[in-house]
Amino acid sequence: MTGLGRLLSIGPTDNTSRERTPRQPLQLIPEGARESFVPYSRVQPALLSAEADMTRLAADLPRAAGEAIEVSGQLTDEFGRPLRGVLLEIWNANTFGRYTHKEDASGLPLDPNFLGLGRVLTDQDGKYRFLTIRPGAYLARPDIGRWRPKHIHMSVRGGSSRLVTQMYFANDPHNDGDPMRILMGDAFKHNVAGEYDAGQPDLAAGYRFDIVVGGRNATFFENDL
Amino acid sequence: MNSITPNKRPATNEDTCGPYFPDPFCDADRMDLVEVHPGLVATARGTPIVIEGRLIDIDGNLGNGAVLEFWQPNDRGIYRTPAHADHPDIDPWFDGYARCRSKDGKFSLRTIKPGALADRAPNVTLTIFSDGISRLVTQIFLEGEAANASDPLLTSLPEPLRSRLIAKSTGANDRGEQVFSIDVVMAGNNETPFFDDLES
Ligand SMILES: [Fe+3]
Repeated sequence: MTGLGRLLSIGPTDNTSRERTPRQPLQLIPEGARESFVPYSRVQPALLSAEADMTRLAADLPRAAGEAIEVSGQLTDEFGRPLRGVLLEIWNANTFGRYTHKEDASGLPLDPNFLGLGRVLTDQDGKYRFLTIRPGAYLARPDIGRWRPKHIHMSVRGGSSRLVTQMYFANDPHNDGDPMRILMGDAFKHNVAGEYDAGQPDLAAGYRFDIVVGGRNATFFENDL
Repeated sequence: MNSITPNKRPATNEDTCGPYFPDPFCDADRMDLVEVHPGLVATARGTPIVIEGRLIDIDGNLGNGAVLEFWQPNDRGIYRTPAHADHPDIDPWFDGYARCRSKDGKFSLRTIKPGALADRAPNVTLTIFSDGISRLVTQIFLEGEAANASDPLLTSLPEPLRSRLIAKSTGANDRGEQVFSIDVVMAGNNETPFFDDLES
């Protein structure tokens, strides 16, 4: 017999969190079934180099509105071992806070030079780098005036590593009221990027965001794709 | 400070997927694991089945915009992992990993009926990413499998919860493939049991 695991918390002022967060504690997995909970993703797309530059639709097209930024870092497991050949899927709002997704009904301006999605693979040291536009904050709950702070969505997939997370910016005035930030508590700092000088006149800033994939799944199988 | 404490790095927090996961990221993903590619004759070994499901929220509404990932062994119960790379029962034309973004909260996975290993009943692991929640994981079992009665995961649950993980057989489709159906209830009445793979 097993027992109960974490009880998930509901993000305050987040309607979808109220609707979708399980109310019962999670169940612990009996040892005999543990391995079956470790999906292994072999298939990785062949990426175009342009996918790592989200600041324009193609190399010969104009740069999107707003501030171009560089984001870089290293993906590791909790023991510091690099996660190599792992796919990073990246998406963020444009400088006005609008996603290009069909279901974003905010009415905020679109930018014809910004799609807002990109992909990169980590290298042999688990390192990655991409360019994007610094996203705008957006009003997530107009009825109560609650904003989402500036953030970049990232999904990590490769081998047995799996993580969906968001990168935040230090000193965003909307950070403190964000439901997920509140749930993270002090650990929020692990999702805040460190700013650096990107060293290029056309880049407003660089952000170092090292991603540590936790849990046993992260390195259940050696990541050497 | 205790020098024996392993110097583990703090994990990056999981976060919600938000409502706007870009559909183009799923362009190369498949929800049909039977055919290697619609234009090729290559098909996986075993018995094709279809698993249909709905994501339900606490108000009984469909959970739209979720990213769903499926993971299962082949017809002989072998997962396509590095640990089984040289296993004689690997089916080279079966991968076992499927993903989609569900616009409306419904899904349909065409796959091979999973085989069972050792004391396990046939099952498909389901991972849910969505707005409002971080990753949720559970497993889907199939109605009519004798091994369901002794599966270590199912039997670890209180009896009333077990049936919530078992997809019901709803007959055959026009290809003669058995169709199973399940409601995955994220919260509230008849809530689906979800599992803690961080603490387990
Ligand atoms: Fe967002």
